[in-house]
Amino acid sequence: MGFTLTSQDYVNYLNIVHKKIYENGDYISSLDAATGDGDHWSNMNMGLENLTAAGDELKSMPIDAAFKKIGMIMMSKIGGSSGILYGGAYMAASKVISGKNSIDSQDLCNALEAMVNDMIQRGKAEPGMKTMIDALYPAVKAYKDALASQTDDRQTMLLVKQAAIDGAEATRNMEAVKGRASYQLNKGVGNLDPGAVTMSYQIECLCDYIIDNLISQ
Amino acid sequence: MKKIINNPNNVVSEMLEGLAKANPAVKYSGAGVEVISRKEKKQNKVGIISGGGSGHEPAHAGYVGFGMLDAAVAGNVFASPSPDRILEGIKEADSGQGVLMVIKNYSGDIMNFQMASELAEMEGIRTASVVVKDDVAVPDSTYSTGRRGIAGTVFVHKIAGAAAEQGKTLEEVKDLAQKTIDNIRSMGMAMTPCILPAVGKAGFELKEDEIEIGMGIHGEPGITRQNMISAQELADKLLSRILEDYDYTGSEVAVMVNGLGGTPLMELYILFNEVEKILADKGIKIYRSFVGNYMTSLEMAGCSVTLLKLDDELKGYLDYPSMAPGFRV
Repeated sequence: MGFTLTSQDYVNYLNIVHKKIYENGDYISSLDAATGDGDHWSNMNMGLENLTAAGDELKSMPIDAAFKKIGMIMMSKIGGSSGILYGGAYMAASKVISGKNSIDSQDLCNALEAMVNDMIQRGKAEPGMKTMIDALYPAVKAYKDALASQTDDRQTMLLVKQAAIDGAEATRNMEAVKGRASYQLNKGVGNLDPGAVTMSYQIECLCDYIIDNLISQ
Repeated sequence: MKKIINNPNNVVSEMLEGLAKANPAVKYSGAGVEVISRKEKKQNKVGIISGGGSGHEPAHAGYVGFGMLDAAVAGNVFASPSPDRILEGIKEADSGQGVLMVIKNYSGDIMNFQMASELAEMEGIRTASVVVKDDVAVPDSTYSTGRRGIAGTVFVHKIAGAAAEQGKTLEEVKDLAQKTIDNIRSMGMAMTPCILPAVGKAGFELKEDEIEIGMGIHGEPGITRQNMISAQELADKLLSRILEDYDYTGSEVAVMVNGLGGTPLMELYILFNEVEKILADKGIKIYRSFVGNYMTSLEMAGCSVTLLKLDDELKGYLDYPSMAPGFRV
């Protein structure tokens, strides 16, 4: 049991998720138009464009350094709230896998947990506030539960992915507390949070990549 | 989308390059950093910086100059600049007495400026910050993001800039900026949406005869949508909300009637004419008035009204000369 994720794998995954977010541009922008100011998609897309452009450099690095570099690129190229939240999260993840050339399933879970904790702390947000945390937090929880109960890798990835998708869907009925949706009279209730949706895309693509490429069928 | 641009991805850098060419007193850092700063630096003066998403011109780059900001940091359109950019702005503004950051109250700006100040501390530069939250369309709250920072921010630049120019310390300038913030209230409305260059179409729609009272400078939802009303009724509507929130009775004020980018000056002066009548009726004395485009929202049509309650101390700083291209006094 167990898989190994390298920088090369992570760059492959980034290419996949960039394609997914690029293709869903109109949909994400329409979610954002309902609750935000319409720039979430263009910011995320631009960030991922910069990451995939740096792919050759990233895949030549140990994974801890690659995560740090990804964080710096996200922070400086995206800007806004997403840039610093993703940037800070990747840098926090880089610290918990410090010294590793590649990572196993437990490391990945630790990295994702460090990410969500950094977002919670930096954004002064909690689960349930209609943000991207609402997709990542349940995914991390599902991941930890699956590892604790020694679930096999394939099933673990399916559980993590489903938790992220369900988490993003659950933002529909949440009231926004942070960010621009919080200015709406109805606090965005009835609309999905675009940041949670793009977060769930990332977790979904990562889990699918691991299932398709890193776990023996 | 009809815009005078070359490539939506380059609007911020090409704008700032143009701004610096048109204003020889400032310099542009170059693409990717997006900082406008004064060419001539006064030594041993508290530095004042501000910044935020682009699309609100002349905020903030147009407010760099003697008597106002030392540097302005631009993010992408409507998105906060990143900490590395803000750090460059802090370095440009620092002349040994520390740097005050004037931040508008948006989650992204707060987080990015906060991290930039930590980076600056590591480089031995002292910083302090104030957060402007003048938009009475939004309830103030410590739990949520709370009140937005809008056109009143320009008064904070003015007062803090003048105080720094006169040799006040970082703590003194910060206290004065905070005092200014405490005495400012603003309220706006929008008539048409704006189009982000990278998105290419409007993020929301308003019907032909419909306006939105309280809409934010990024098109954030306001309080109510209703049919267009007369300038007289609009002045009453915007001022009522401000005066319910803060008692300006019997005081002297600075007034700003601000256009959002797509509203002609003719209409702003008509609105000011009505604002003046209402204030006179209520015994609120206008000390100084500013009518124009100070904190815009791309091509959005609409306006905001800002009141700043003045005492002798604030009057002195308000009247102090400013050479910033966007706010000459």
